[in-house]
Amino acid sequence: MTTLSTDTPSDTSLSPAQLREKKDRRRAITLLTPGLLWMALFMVLPMIMVVYVSFWTQTTFTVESTLTTASWERFLSSSTYLGAIWTTLRIWAIVLIATIVVGYPVALFIGLFVRNKTLQTALLVACVIPFWTSFLIRVIAWRPMLGTEGAINAILMQLGIINEPLTFLLFSEFSVLVGMTQIYVVFMVGPITFMLGRIDPSVIEAARDLGASFGTIFRRIILPLSLPGVMVGAIFVSVMVLGEFATAASLSGRKVNLLGNIIVSQVGSLKWAFAAVAGVVLTIIITAVIALALRLVDLRKEM
Amino acid sequence: MLTLNRVSRRYGETIALDGVDFVVPENTYMSLLGASGSGKTTLLRLIAGFEEPDQGEISINGARIDGQPSHLRDIGFVFQNFALFPHLTVFENVAFGLRHRVNAPVKNEKEIKERTDNALELVGLEGFGHRAVSAISGGQRQRVALARTLVTEPRIVLLDEPLGALDANLRSRMCDELKAIRERLKVSFLHVTGSETEALMMGDKVAVLADGKIVQTGAPDTLFAEPLNAASARHMNAWNIFDASLCAGPVGQGAIAVRFDQIDISATGQAPETRPHLKAKYLTGEFNGPTALSFFRAEDGTLLQIIDHLSQPRLPDLVEGESYDLHFAPDAVRQFHGAA
Amino acid sequence: MESRILRPTLAIYSGIFLLFLYGPMIVLAILSFQSADGGPQFPIREWSTYWYQHLLGLAETSRVSQLPVGDSLIRSIILAFMTTVVSTILGVMSAEAFRTKFKGSGPAFYLIILGMMVPGVLVGLGMALLSNTLGISRAWFGTSFVLHVVYTYPFAFLVLLAIFNRFDRTVEEASMSLGVSPAQTFRRVTFPIIFPGVLSAMLFSFTLSYDEFSRTLFTAGRELTLPLAIYGTFSVEIYPNLFAFGVLTTLFSFTLLVIYGLLMKRFTSKASRFKGQEEG
Repeated sequence: MTTLSTDTPSDTSLSPAQLREKKDRRRAITLLTPGLLWMALFMVLPMIMVVYVSFWTQTTFTVESTLTTASWERFLSSSTYLGAIWTTLRIWAIVLIATIVVGYPVALFIGLFVRNKTLQTALLVACVIPFWTSFLIRVIAWRPMLGTEGAINAILMQLGIINEPLTFLLFSEFSVLVGMTQIYVVFMVGPITFMLGRIDPSVIEAARDLGASFGTIFRRIILPLSLPGVMVGAIFVSVMVLGEFATAASLSGRKVNLLGNIIVSQVGSLKWAFAAVAGVVLTIIITAVIALALRLVDLRKEM
Repeated sequence: MLTLNRVSRRYGETIALDGVDFVVPENTYMSLLGASGSGKTTLLRLIAGFEEPDQGEISINGARIDGQPSHLRDIGFVFQNFALFPHLTVFENVAFGLRHRVNAPVKNEKEIKERTDNALELVGLEGFGHRAVSAISGGQRQRVALARTLVTEPRIVLLDEPLGALDANLRSRMCDELKAIRERLKVSFLHVTGSETEALMMGDKVAVLADGKIVQTGAPDTLFAEPLNAASARHMNAWNIFDASLCAGPVGQGAIAVRFDQIDISATGQAPETRPHLKAKYLTGEFNGPTALSFFRAEDGTLLQIIDHLSQPRLPDLVEGESYDLHFAPDAVRQFHGAA
Repeated sequence: MESRILRPTLAIYSGIFLLFLYGPMIVLAILSFQSADGGPQFPIREWSTYWYQHLLGLAETSRVSQLPVGDSLIRSIILAFMTTVVSTILGVMSAEAFRTKFKGSGPAFYLIILGMMVPGVLVGLGMALLSNTLGISRAWFGTSFVLHVVYTYPFAFLVLLAIFNRFDRTVEEASMSLGVSPAQTFRRVTFPIIFPGVLSAMLFSFTLSYDEFSRTLFTAGRELTLPLAIYGTFSVEIYPNLFAFGVLTTLFSFTLLVIYGLLMKRFTSKASRFKGQEEG
């Protein structure tokens, strides 16, 4: 009997099944290596660099690699910067809640109340389409909407509801919150709709036949099943809002300073070490938020 | 000739195949009968090289093929779901292997056309070449799958429940066609199925796979009439298997089997003295057209079935819940060694 | 029945929600037709296409300087194209790898997904620091490009992962049983079948990169991309030419979307999957 074997001697102890498994694994790792390498070099390494530079010595226009905690001390003793942390967390919390409150009923309508698949898809597409507009243009679009001579004030004055234009609408924390909610709410609507769409309508009908009120059905069936969607949406919204600076820069009239704005302005004045400190603080906050969320939901399973 | 020698395959703790010895001779229609979960699909996948065995050898004409990549094995495979290429037409599906295979690809368009058309003709699909595979029926897809495999002239063709996705009418028609096609091509087919009628009807030889082992191989009539063990008798779906101690009369010991059509029924105590008999309660009957099936429960709980052919009725009128004596000729008994 | 009240309420609410989503863009579009002497607010003094002409450099000299969109537009398109190619290739390779079970797939998954989670301003800062330290000059086609891929590759990966989850492996096995090598099988069978997914991944990558600016801000160097050019106008007074630009760039995106839709339609109609079995 002739044997066709190309195995190297060291492999002879392995069965064909193990060899195949080894080969498949090696192939998978080979395919994955370029991507992981890319991420390691261009994402992980820069992030390490941020942490490292946060301990460098800042002079007026340059940084030196002499290690010091001076930037950290300055950051943590400055009420302006600690205030930025507080502002970031406050804006994040409000926007997160706002996206859930504003988005959930819409998701409920599209995911559960619209039975027609075509209409359902059309509505979802309608929610997503604004994304094909430049993000910065969408932000700037709030200015003619909210300004003292903007659309809202114009309409309210026409209707005689107000006599003086409302000035708090633009260049305030309010305009930042409205802008962010509008931009990010879709990331909440999408995942929740997806989860609600998975609910078998017959389950709800059966519950209704058994005499359950909508309140009961919502509490017992709809809410629990949609929670993973809320969590996934919350992760999306959180990471985006926490890293924000453009909306605040263009709509707050410098009244709202997020950590992102601190980083941008520090880099603008070449205070690299200081920007790095703000970066590390931001990283810690985001990591904490994501870690918390991932404890509550397995992202890999939900996608 | 395809030879499997002590082939084993495990998935974690589950043993799918446990030392299978198996031979598929040249120019043979071999049926492989096994219940779902018996490892029959695994066996085909090992032969085709989609998976590899943990132990044992697989060879064709004496040359080992285990460890070889599947595209170098020259073994055809017809899938239960057909696995047609959805983005190609019927013609391109069939021509695919000729065009793109590693060994001796055909470059000449004329030859490709000729061979593809021949294959389509062989399976009765002349003129269907331009169709999309989504635009043809299930039976036609089955034929495309077959033509696609046959056109490459593999050394052996493996068919994984090829009729499973077809409806009953189509199934029996495809059975005849498969057999005829194979006889024309003189290549061996290894046809895996869970249906004993299909296995017995199709196979020149039939092998029974149970609990990860081949329990018997033989001609269909031999296998049906003389199963060697309880496992293969059970797969024929024609044998009552029960413990000899239930019977009065000369039946030996241990597990014995008597065919559904070889048992007669008398009122309690009326069984002829010369015939082995046992007492059982009549449960219910099932009318199947030309045959009628009666179900009995023996005293130890074993379910027994009796077939009566309507053209030659031999059973008395039965009352549900009543006990009867079931009796049979001493030479109708098959005695198995070991546990039932 | 509550749903008799609930359903219309939710429908009306959803209508208002869409108005909330689209309102600002509609106002912006209306204001882009403001007359030459009008400002970026109501009322419209006179309907005109002046600001479009201004944007395209066709208007006579005016008090408002022209938006620097010409070169930056070309840069952005090239950058988006490069990003699309690389992230789609990486996405296909990684998603293909994840079809095999292997140890460490969990951490590898999260490492990739991290790319879309990490705020742009952070990796941007890190990349700027890194290039300063290593003495590499920052440029949109270098430092910005690699960061864009970090951002879009996870999206491409997820799209293809979803496609592969629904992929019927037996067609690949069928191809190999016909004697076709794994490489050819990928090219002739796998790739054509996953192509709609590849197209979606490309669309995602292109639009995300084209619009990306927080990752570009610190890493682009002297030559600006389109979003950076727009961001530059934020700090000064805005004029309706920005609105006209907004309308045009939106139209450009929709054109892309339509092309994608047409390609998709062509491919899905060609490769429509098996639909139940009928008698033949």
